[in-house]
Amino acid sequence: MKVVVLIKRVPDTASELQVAADGKSVVTGGLKFVMSPYDEHAVELAIQLKESHGAEVVVLSAGPPETKEIIRSALAMGADSGILVDTAQLGALTCRGTARLLAAALADLGADLVVAGKQAVDDDAAQVPERVAELLGIPHASVITRFELSGTTASVDREIEGGQYTLELPLPALFTTQKGINTPRYPTLPNIMKAKKKEIREVPAAQLGLAADSLSAQATTEAMTLPRQQRLCRVIEGDNAQRVKELVRVLHMEEKVL
Amino acid sequence: MPDKLADMRTIKFLLHEVLKLEELTQYPYYEDHSRETLDMAADTAYQLAHEVFWPSYQEFDQEGAQFDGHKVAVPKAMHEIWKQCAEGGWIGPNVSYDDGGQQFPITIHALACFLFNCGNTAAAMYLGLTYGAAHLIKTFGSKELQDLYMAKLFAGQYAGTMVLTEPDTGTSVGDMTTTASKSPDGDYYLLRGNKRFISGGDHDLTENIIHAVLARTEGAPPGIKGLSLFIVPKYRVNGDGSIGEWNDVTTTGIEHKMGLKGSATASLTFGDKGDCRAWLVGELNHGLRYMFELMNMARVFTGMQAVGVASAAYHCALEYSRTRLQGRDITSRDPLEPQIPIIQHPDVRLMLLKQRAVVEGCLGLFLYCARVHDQEHAVTDPEEQQRLHMLLEMLTPCCKAYGSDAAFESIRLAIQCHGGSGYSEEYPVAQMLRDCKVFSIYEGANGIQALDLLGRKVPMKGGMALQALNAEVSKTIAEAKELAPLKDLADKIESLQNEVVQATMHLGMLGLSGKVNQYLCNATAYLEMFSHLAISWQLLMQAVVAQKVLDAGSTEENFYRGKIETARCYAGYNVPHGIATAQMLTADERTALDFKPEWF
Repeated sequence: MKVVVLIKRVPDTASELQVAADGKSVVTGGLKFVMSPYDEHAVELAIQLKESHGAEVVVLSAGPPETKEIIRSALAMGADSGILVDTAQLGALTCRGTARLLAAALADLGADLVVAGKQAVDDDAAQVPERVAELLGIPHASVITRFELSGTTASVDREIEGGQYTLELPLPALFTTQKGINTPRYPTLPNIMKAKKKEIREVPAAQLGLAADSLSAQATTEAMTLPRQQRLCRVIEGDNAQRVKELVRVLHMEEKVL
Repeated sequence: MPDKLADMRTIKFLLHEVLKLEELTQYPYYEDHSRETLDMAADTAYQLAHEVFWPSYQEFDQEGAQFDGHKVAVPKAMHEIWKQCAEGGWIGPNVSYDDGGQQFPITIHALACFLFNCGNTAAAMYLGLTYGAAHLIKTFGSKELQDLYMAKLFAGQYAGTMVLTEPDTGTSVGDMTTTASKSPDGDYYLLRGNKRFISGGDHDLTENIIHAVLARTEGAPPGIKGLSLFIVPKYRVNGDGSIGEWNDVTTTGIEHKMGLKGSATASLTFGDKGDCRAWLVGELNHGLRYMFELMNMARVFTGMQAVGVASAAYHCALEYSRTRLQGRDITSRDPLEPQIPIIQHPDVRLMLLKQRAVVEGCLGLFLYCARVHDQEHAVTDPEEQQRLHMLLEMLTPCCKAYGSDAAFESIRLAIQCHGGSGYSEEYPVAQMLRDCKVFSIYEGANGIQALDLLGRKVPMKGGMALQALNAEVSKTIAEAKELAPLKDLADKIESLQNEVVQATMHLGMLGLSGKVNQYLCNATAYLEMFSHLAISWQLLMQAVVAQKVLDAGSTEENFYRGKIETARCYAGYNVPHGIATAQMLTADERTALDFKPEWF
């Protein structure tokens, strides 16, 4: 059984972000990057399947060469090998492009199961894994909090507002993990040393045979700003109708959040 | 509660840019390592500190270690911390593959110790003690002792302790009375005596506790030359490794301390029933020497514990000062103008800066010492080994004494930044101050460190150790003078260096003329002055690296500028203090010597 885990390199949420001079990007110098925390749950799920079912665990990511660091972290948690789709030569990618690259890399891997975090904590788009499943034409379930394997069927709980679905999906299938499904393990020092010897295969994005326009961004970033940190409290006076009207006006015109 | 306990960017800066730790991988012992393994270990240690140690920090204080009259229970959260650290290989990351370690540099072990102490200093105690006992057995124990205990200690299956203090014998170790007499069949010794203040002396973390005990055999010479080191398990271990009978080690109580409450500090009675079996480590009467051989790093680690707590406190204060709105700019006259975060008030900013300088200066010094220790064990040239060893000898008392005192002062400032909230136990800084106090007391009280520096280290090998250190300081100063923006800072630190040399020579003459009491009566002030130089030098070393990066062009200007200005601030406030102390020393201030006890 082969399990492929999709992971993403993201800035540590504890980092202090700065917007670059162009006003459209984040200053990356000095920024600490980590594996997106929801992805850690996916890696943990895969390693548990390795322990219980002897699964082979392959970690797959698309990103710049530095992404190898987080692939190595997954290997230190216990994954067997890694693949990096090197996107250094590509321009900015959106979910569409990333999903196509990952799906192309997955095509000949023969994965029985693909798992990923429910969303990446940098852009919070929650799109890539589902797009990958659609591109591969396999069933998928997102935001799972329980996973049980029985033969070639997976039974999962999927979290929804105020409740949950219990679903059964035939493999191969793709799942995205929510917090609570497990507790990701910490790399141990012996496993850090073992991880050093495990293979990370680098695949230049160009080798995947995808047309450049199929990867290009369909949206452009116009501006990027940090949330305002000042704590402001303001009491809106008047009767309910006046207050609602004023609230909407403030949110729309002053705070510009609507 | 702060999101941050330590600044990992600074730590990577120290490891790689300042100390060039990766260069160790050219030596056989470290050849499997790379920047990647070093970084992963450092990052994982921080993750553990933040996610495993820190969440129970206040709980440890409230719950404390518990004694029910028979046995000791650690705070509940300690079990999970222990499990993660034992499984993760964190008790002895630096020991060899053969002994169950991963041959990491001790610099990484020291860093992990620092980070774990940032997270929960009481919890980190249990790890350090276990490493200490295992390391003693590894270095001086017989093969039988090693086979029985070592692997289990490094793996965290057993825990360890270091047992020196007795009810009437603290600093004056040579006066201890615990005795060891040879058993009738001569295979082991029978121990009898009471010990006190034994950290990790009893607990429910592990199936067995292995005590490394100093005791006196019958007929041994008086004083420290008659002390031998013994291994005394709480439960005897059978030849096949299984746990045997209870070894007549009784816990009579635990201390109710000012801080560090989650760390069980036990009073132990050995041989109450006359059957406490002890096995000699190494040779008779060499016990204290064995302990001392490990003492340098143990003392560096003590400073590290203190500054770990200070780092967490600093980050609490920094976060609080950034978010707490209070008052307006001093020139503002409009009472309706919005209030500003207190970090914008220069007085608060200075308090933060002083904390930062202590944390980054001391951490730099500790990691430098650990790096020197690694280098000493990596190189094969005996002369270079001796030079490195002397550097470590000189700097150890500063690490321990200045580190612990400066950390306490730094946490005082962290509380001050919090205002009234800092005095409330709702915020963690009050506990941090209480927890930190012990580090100036144990592992050789700071007054003893000062005597060690001035009485032993300064005259060591005819002053060669001091010269070796001075040469290193001069090297950094010369390097800084080459960089125009650092020239004035380098000159300032050099002026302190000159004063320290003058004061040392003046004191040396007193010592040589036999006025030993006068020579040593200001040892504490001497250590503080010496440490001001040492920390200024360390921060200058960091500033030199930062200036070079800035000159080459960097996208991290704030980070590197911060390093340079931190060095400037520390020297600006402490060099004058150091120079004034030097002048006091050369003026033969001796009130402490002459003031008669009856005048109090």
